[in-house]
Amino acid sequence: MTRDEIKTELMRIFRDVFEFKNPDPNDNLRDVHGFDSVDAIELLREIEIMLGARLSREEKEKAMDVRTINQIVDYVESLASTRS
Amino acid sequence: MDRSQNHCLTRSTKWLADLVVTLLLWGYYTVGFLVFFSLFYVMAYLFSKNRETSFQRLNHRFYKGFFSLVRVLAPQHKWRIDSDVSGIRSCVIVCNHVSYLDPLILISLFEKHKTIAKSSLFKLPLFGRMLRLSGYIPSTSEGKLKELMIQHIETMNDYLAAGGNLFIFPEGTRSPDGNIGSLNKGAFKIARLCRTPIKVLFVRNTDVLFRPGRFLFNACVPNTITLELIETIEPDYQSKAFSISRLMGQVHMLLSTQSSRH
Repeated sequence: MTRDEIKTELMRIFRDVFEFKNPDPNDNLRDVHGFDSVDAIELLREIEIMLGARLSREEKEKAMDVRTINQIVDYVESLASTRS
Repeated sequence: MDRSQNHCLTRSTKWLADLVVTLLLWGYYTVGFLVFFSLFYVMAYLFSKNRETSFQRLNHRFYKGFFSLVRVLAPQHKWRIDSDVSGIRSCVIVCNHVSYLDPLILISLFEKHKTIAKSSLFKLPLFGRMLRLSGYIPSTSEGKLKELMIQHIETMNDYLAAGGNLFIFPEGTRSPDGNIGSLNKGAFKIARLCRTPIKVLFVRNTDVLFRPGRFLFNACVPNTITLELIETIEPDYQSKAFSISRLMGQVHMLLSTQSSRH
């Protein structure tokens, strides 16, 4: 997956699944949208579907420190590169 | 003896009765725990193959005993618990919150239960350990509680499928006036994550028995405590039309309608 494809898919997930209105890639998800750890776990499930692969516990824990959509794009990009 | 003296005597008698009931209940909570339950907790800790289940069962029995004692010591408080409530399994339960007694009542009703507790409680030396061992979930996932939170939420699906319940007070705190405050999304997100039905409960008058901010139980007043199942919601989580906000709105309306009755 290219970075643009990852970003487009993540923006769709944030709009459709998490019901964010006009998410900005640099928004602090917790502060601006009330994104919490339950959301993070659901997002990880969506990322697993997106990548077609299960994530390890260490990979999941790393995701808990991510704060913005751009950081999530970086995170997914690095996951995708290790799996390609 | 004139009316004011009588009133004063009645008030002091009532205060004394409340004090005795409170001391007996706290006695059960402390000495009763040590004498009747602590050994079982230690055994569960050392030998149980599934500590979490064992601790939940022990908590359930401990609070069942507590409320049996409450019924004996405060007979003026009548209890009306909807017979459908104790049969609830494999659901996310949401309930309004008016007293510290509310979570304890739900623990006394469900042998297999989990709930979300304030993260600060997990830091308390003994109590925090009990919460962890009972499989309760911290409300935030900061610092050291992060791993615990992930572990519990990830295994919640299996837990609910095996007949457990997750009960949550979505207002997050006790209502000071009985009105329903704004709801937190957590319970609904977990329900969506696990694709489970939501049971909406309504509790009433536990705050008459144990008033917020008061040490003594209010044992000597006529009161009826009720716990009702007011709705079962089975959302179509797969539908594109599904919305957490709408679901929360529906639950808020149900609770508010119930609150405005009586």
